[in-house]
Amino acid sequence: MSKKIQLYSLATPNGQKVSVALHELGLDFDTHVIDIRKGDQFTDEFKKINPNSKIPALVDPDGPGGKELALFESGAILLYLAEKTGKLLPADPAAKWETVSWLMFQMGGVGPMFGQFGHFTKYAPEKVPYAINRYTTEAKRLLGVLEARLTGRQYIMGDDYTIADIATFPWVVCLSAFYNADEALGLADFKAVQAWVNRCMERPANKALGLADFKAVQAWVDRCMERPASKAGMHVAPFPAS
Amino acid sequence: MSKKIQLYSLATPNGQKVSVALHELGLDFDTHVIDIRKGDQFTDEFKKINPNSKIPALVDPDGPGGKELALFESGAILLYLAEKTGKLLPADPAANWETVSWLMFQMGGVGPMFGQFGHFTKYAPEKVPYAINRYTTEAKRLLGVLEARLTGRQYIMGDDYTIADIATFPWVVCLSAFYNADEALGLADFKAVQAWVNRCMERPASKVSVFGAYNCWVIASCDAGGGAMCKEVALSAYDNADEALGLADFKAVQAWVDRCMERPASKAGMHVAPFPAS
Repeated sequence: MSKKIQLYSLATPNGQKVSVALHELGLDFDTHVIDIRKGDQFTDEFKKINPNSKIPALVDPDGPGGKELALFESGAILLYLAEKTGKLLPADPAAKWETVSWLMFQMGGVGPMFGQFGHFTKYAPEKVPYAINRYTTEAKRLLGVLEARLTGRQYIMGDDYTIADIATFPWVVCLSAFYNADEALGLADFKAVQAWVNRCMERPANKALGLADFKAVQAWVDRCMERPASKAGMHVAPFPAS
Repeated sequence: MSKKIQLYSLATPNGQKVSVALHELGLDFDTHVIDIRKGDQFTDEFKKINPNSKIPALVDPDGPGGKELALFESGAILLYLAEKTGKLLPADPAANWETVSWLMFQMGGVGPMFGQFGHFTKYAPEKVPYAINRYTTEAKRLLGVLEARLTGRQYIMGDDYTIADIATFPWVVCLSAFYNADEALGLADFKAVQAWVNRCMERPASKVSVFGAYNCWVIASCDAGGGAMCKEVALSAYDNADEALGLADFKAVQAWVDRCMERPASKAGMHVAPFPAS
């Protein structure tokens, strides 16, 4: 089989995290699109890789001991890639553990709660005011935590761009680019968050985020990203109902 | 300052995970109760430890380089304690990473989704059928994933008890013990857990059991007139009010919960404290 990393994914925020990391690390990989709108995640073949039937999942043919390793959960994949390459995680152990805390903050909080926000504001076939209010409130609270952390810092861990940033900024971009929640969440008021998203989106690796099929959009994103003024990168990708 | 680990917590499932691990590892620790019903998590002092204002959080005075290290997020704490001690994570790197995948499955899926299930079935001041249905369906799906994994295995990683188990079983127990979802999710066949609940209920002053001390607290608050739940409801919460909505089929999950709960460290770590509305 190919000696390249095999990525099973779709360009949702969780999928984008891994694409970003792979590009950032300069690792070669093949992508298998698992279209979760069509149920690709429920095949026996895919379930062997991820019994939870979710993307992203990754198989590294050159895993520990030179053997093939299958991983699921974007947080596990990010940690694995960082430890495999020695990059995107601080070398200092204390800073490393602080980064892991922020990674888990994204995995346990930002992702699931922004996802529920998106479900009830964009996808749910009926309007559920209680849930819209609940997840709007929590999304704003989480943005506030990020705002406080990013005030006075370039990235979550200060000057170092780490897997904590990579795990988190695609979800913040999603709030705007896919959930169109700028107004509902008052995104413009989170100035440190906005500046940080721009900073993340300026990185070349992030311009390659799953946009191959959307050339007009890509050209437009490039135009936006060329502007010195800070505005969050408005990238797009197929985003299924969740 | 004390050289013991300092735990800032409450006995919610996420808090229990860390208590279980600390007891399992035989580590000395001091506990600071952060009562999230009273807003303890919003003090400046606590926010320095966890800017997200959640429990659990932990400070290890003997962190890397002998310096104090603050950690938040139960998943990060579990990983840290496992790596610090060399226990509760497989030594084999491939198995180590598989364990981390299952830990993240709990952190990103089981915890948040069971928590939403609990919110809409127990805490929400209004009945929201769409959300109840959504999170009931997802809770059952996640239980199904666990069931499949645990079929033919003692623990998530086979014969090894790991942080993947410690992260996950408190949430499964919570479905029954706190969310009273036996009927809604079909938890009826967790018979050893029920027996353990009853055993702990006989020890009202016990701090080592989520069930016993919870019951003790609820009764005390009802007697004091300040409880939100009447004594009768509290007692019946542990009354095998279970029925069938599906958990009866999750036999591998049940057996696994039993195995986890048999461990002395689990009985110690599943200690009680008031469980606030989330």
